[in-house]
Amino acid sequence: MRNFDYQRAGDVAEATALHGNDHSADFIAGGTNLIDMVKLDIMRPQRLVDVNRLPLTDLESLDDGRLKIGALVTNTDLAYHERVLADYPVLSEALLSGASTQLRNVATTAGNVMQRTRCPYFRNPARPCNKREPGSGCGALEGINRNHAVLGTSEHCIAVHPSDMCVGMQALGATITVEGPGGTRDIPFEEYHLLPGDTPEREHDLNDGELITHVTLDAPIDGARGHYLKLRDRMSYEFALASCAAVVAMDGDAIREARIALGGVGTKPWRSHEAEAALSGQPATEETFEKAAEAAMAGAVAHRDNAFKIPLAKQAIVRALATVTAQG
Amino acid sequence: MMDDSVHSPDDALQPRDASRSSNTVTVSLTLNGEPVTLEVEPNVVLLDALRERLDLTGTKKGCDHGQCGACTVLIDGHSANSCLTLAVMHEGCEITTVEGLARDGQLHPVQEAFLEHDAYQCGYCTAGQMMSTVSMLNDKRIGSDDASVKEAMSGNICRCGAYKNILSAVQSARAKA
Amino acid sequence: MTESIIGHRTTRIDGELKLTGKADYAADHNLPGQVYGYPVPSTIARGRLVGLDLDAARQAPGVIEIVHRGNFPALQHSDNNPACGSEGRLFHSPNTMAEQNKVGEARLPFEDDGIHYEGQYIAMVIADTFEHARAAARLVTARYEEETAVPGLFQTDDEGEEAGDEAVSRGDPEGAFESAPVKFDHTYTIAMETHVAMELHASNATWDGDRLTIYESTQGVVFQRNAMAQIFGIPPEKVTVIAHYIGSGFGSKLFMWPHAVITAVAAKMVGRPVKTVLSRQQNFCSAGNRPASRQRIRMAADRDGKLLSIRHDSQNETSFVDAYTESVGSGTPRVYACDNVSVSQRRVQVNHGTPTSMRAPGEVSGSVALEIAMDEMAIELGMDPLELRRRNFAERDPSADLPWSGNHLRECWDDASRRFGWEKRNPQIGSMRDGHEIIGWGMADATWEAMRSHCKARVELRADGKVQVACGTQDIGTGTYTIVAQTASELTGVPLERIEVKLGDSTLPAGPLSGGSMATATTLPAVAGATRDAIEQLKQLAIADGAPFEGKEADALTFENGTLSDGSQTLSFAELLDKLQRGMAEGEASAAPGEEQDKFSFRSFGAHFVEVRWDPGISRLRVSRVVSTIDVGRAINPLTARNQVEGAIVMGMGMGMFEETEYDSAGNIYNNNYADYIVPVHADIPDIEVELLDNPDYNFNEFGVRGIGEIGITGMAAAISNAVYHATGKRIRDMPIKIADLIASR
Repeated sequence: MRNFDYQRAGDVAEATALHGNDHSADFIAGGTNLIDMVKLDIMRPQRLVDVNRLPLTDLESLDDGRLKIGALVTNTDLAYHERVLADYPVLSEALLSGASTQLRNVATTAGNVMQRTRCPYFRNPARPCNKREPGSGCGALEGINRNHAVLGTSEHCIAVHPSDMCVGMQALGATITVEGPGGTRDIPFEEYHLLPGDTPEREHDLNDGELITHVTLDAPIDGARGHYLKLRDRMSYEFALASCAAVVAMDGDAIREARIALGGVGTKPWRSHEAEAALSGQPATEETFEKAAEAAMAGAVAHRDNAFKIPLAKQAIVRALATVTAQG
Repeated sequence: MMDDSVHSPDDALQPRDASRSSNTVTVSLTLNGEPVTLEVEPNVVLLDALRERLDLTGTKKGCDHGQCGACTVLIDGHSANSCLTLAVMHEGCEITTVEGLARDGQLHPVQEAFLEHDAYQCGYCTAGQMMSTVSMLNDKRIGSDDASVKEAMSGNICRCGAYKNILSAVQSARAKA
Repeated sequence: MTESIIGHRTTRIDGELKLTGKADYAADHNLPGQVYGYPVPSTIARGRLVGLDLDAARQAPGVIEIVHRGNFPALQHSDNNPACGSEGRLFHSPNTMAEQNKVGEARLPFEDDGIHYEGQYIAMVIADTFEHARAAARLVTARYEEETAVPGLFQTDDEGEEAGDEAVSRGDPEGAFESAPVKFDHTYTIAMETHVAMELHASNATWDGDRLTIYESTQGVVFQRNAMAQIFGIPPEKVTVIAHYIGSGFGSKLFMWPHAVITAVAAKMVGRPVKTVLSRQQNFCSAGNRPASRQRIRMAADRDGKLLSIRHDSQNETSFVDAYTESVGSGTPRVYACDNVSVSQRRVQVNHGTPTSMRAPGEVSGSVALEIAMDEMAIELGMDPLELRRRNFAERDPSADLPWSGNHLRECWDDASRRFGWEKRNPQIGSMRDGHEIIGWGMADATWEAMRSHCKARVELRADGKVQVACGTQDIGTGTYTIVAQTASELTGVPLERIEVKLGDSTLPAGPLSGGSMATATTLPAVAGATRDAIEQLKQLAIADGAPFEGKEADALTFENGTLSDGSQTLSFAELLDKLQRGMAEGEASAAPGEEQDKFSFRSFGAHFVEVRWDPGISRLRVSRVVSTIDVGRAINPLTARNQVEGAIVMGMGMGMFEETEYDSAGNIYNNNYADYIVPVHADIPDIEVELLDNPDYNFNEFGVRGIGEIGITGMAAAISNAVYHATGKRIRDMPIKIADLIASR
């Protein structure tokens, strides 16, 4: 791990001022992903601005029913917050299925949004990676790609987005608030993470020097239930091979509104409007769920080792929907 | 070897390494109940500060990337991987390591339970397992049934596979707490 | 003492040290003036190192030295290894078991400019702090001439080289196969695995003149001492290797790896202690592995299930810098009664670091294939798999024509199957269901040879009332400290609190490697002998002129509960030594296997019964229950012994379901860390119920112990695979079982 300079900010204005537009500077909050990557020598900040003292640790229920989450709320505190447990259980389940207790105790909401891929080619500076070093090639395309994405890939990058929390938020709908040299702006959650396309090094809609200050969840869908199902090799402490966040509101025996988001299979936290359309107004039956699953994965592209993810993701969708619609 | 850049009331906590370079940062924190001041470069990770500068070697390095849990300590009462946090980030924090569990020569109830249930083999992951246990038993949000405990403890790998005995020890310590 | 402490559940005497953070593992030593080593690994798998740019690293803060091929001591090209080395030269690495100097990889670091695997050392930075060494290591750049690598056994057509000494043949396996009514020919594979002991490999080396002291995470202080002495050309007594506590090894720390040599050289170059702790990534590349194996089994039986022929032909990976043979078929001729058996083994060179022993080396890989094959034969015959095994029970060791010292496999079958409820098994595939889940039940046998080696030990009865036992073996977490103390306590009657055990130091009387499940059977007889010798020495002191028991016959004195008595006068050994103004009475002993080896075959057996739950709707497989009964002779400490078997079962789950060290087609390692190399975690752990039969094997040694570390992992992955077949109808012959193998079976 190379050395860097360190500065501690007391408030948002100081943090963004300290950062400036400096390409070589990074904000650090929990640090569980950033320090990991600096140790791997795949991120080489020359300066870290510590934002842990910023007053962004609160959750606030807004009058319109939304929930405003401070950037520094830890994954643990968010998962167990009474509003989240009551109104956004899919998010609580997603959070608690991620990482480990220790990591969740430290990792922050904004840090989780900023989490970077676990692709081993990305994580090894000796290997080619277009995301880390544009133009160097993609080691995973011809390499081992069992854990890689089947949705949203390009010929330049098939790295999978690792977050569980973001999948829950993707299903719920949310807004990311950032503050930076250009002032404050809101970004819809679904537009925040970018597809790799020709520029896999661009992972999100964040400008240099901008800092995430809040994530605000949409007001809960009236009468909706949620469930997060994560599938992986072992039972805990592993990134998803496929996961599904399902939020469903019923109208009698029919599905009034459904939200489906997928993890472990997309190059970004994957919202499936196709699956949602296939569910809307339909009876909550296995047949409906399977149609939704087919719709969700219709555009999936497999590589040598990850073809199993396509049926696995379908299974995650079907079971998550069965579970959420069976809840009494 | 003493280093005048560090001011600790406890000789045992004097760092050995006298090297300094231009961008060191001074950090004051509470370590196992004692105030400690460190002057370290920013890239010194808390785990390495404990082990290599403060001789608190009970906290172990197993992966250095938050993937095994051997380095678990308590930061302000909550379990955390000391390998993934910088020492300089902990100004004013209260840190507890395995060396801070026993009081006045009396083992902590979690330590006693681990001894009685043979909740280890090689002992290398043990500090981390116990720190996670202490944190978990204090966190009422985590369920007390075996499945909840196993899930909450899954961030602590035991390659010797003494998991069954660790679970027994955790639940035994819970019953005595 | 009224009750024997041998065989008694005993909490560890070193427990408090481990639980308070005071147990000193290699990397816990911080020596005055110490500096840090950080290796620079090759990033290619095969080729030549043609350039090394060290300038930037040299100028980095805190850098003291960079060790590399250009400044590494030249190799002394002489087979005559003088007793005392010539300055500034190294000698070829020794590599023999017989001389107790085997190393993990015979090629010395920087020996040539060849690159033989990713992660091979090309330099090591020495700096004042760990951070400075690590940061500077990132600044070293290398130029290579890259060659096409052999990425692994399953990605090459190379048949490999025959390991002739592994070949076994009896009867007419081919003829018996041809004429048999029921037969098959299947190929099984075991993925390359990595030990990933929690403790990272570490060395901390210091020179005092020509004396080397090295703290090392090693399972063999004596082996490393001898190897270091040879390489540096100095007498073994000038090398001290210390490993008081080891964060386990599972074989990866049996034999010394190159980082220790570089660290010792670096310490000499900079004149200060050098501490090197390998990163987890580095551990994956250059500290051993269980090599991948491909195994062809041709098995035949008659319609009653009597085995007629087994041919077991295997290949294993080795590196280009050492020849490692994985004795995959070693159990096959011995476990079942079969008149026609052959075994062969070939080594295939690949661009990986050199393999080494990993828990139950060879035999576990072979047992997985053989025990799946047995299940397949049972299916072929329409027979219960346990019944098939019963019909092929070996009354004697069929490979050695010797009687078993004790084969209690039938009791294991009876006990484990009863506790598991095997008779309730519906043999129909997929017939046992619970909600979404299909339940599968499978079983397999476990077995491991009982081995014993040479050992010395020393015991001191001390005037302070304590007993100290010393032996140059190690406790890698198996509980050796405690069973040694139990032994001394048993023979002296002194309670455990007053018994001190010193292990893990090469200056102590030479003890065995902590490996192969042989440390207990090897060490305890020597400890017992030394204890008796110390008591005898005490008696001689007691009856000497002017001593309290002057004039008595030594044989007339009794020694019980730490006190010497002639029937009228009773003195504790502390009182006696005090009266004599002596510090201690000291005993020493050696112990070694004897003629019993020619009379019996010593082998442990056991049986695993496994329940899996397969949820086809989400392709989730988990092990829900394991019931095992194991016969290992006597368990000196049932508490720690059972823990060993439970842990081995967990590792066997890893082998069966998760563990696979992957290399891509370029020969680059893919999953060199604890997140991508999957091992079981708490949440994976099923109900595990282990019973140890208590059948002391007194033919083997006076304590009746046969060792326990390995046997629990043998057969486990096969039992899982067999249970998966019962649940899904899918026969998985390639370990580990993956979701992709099962997902279509709905």
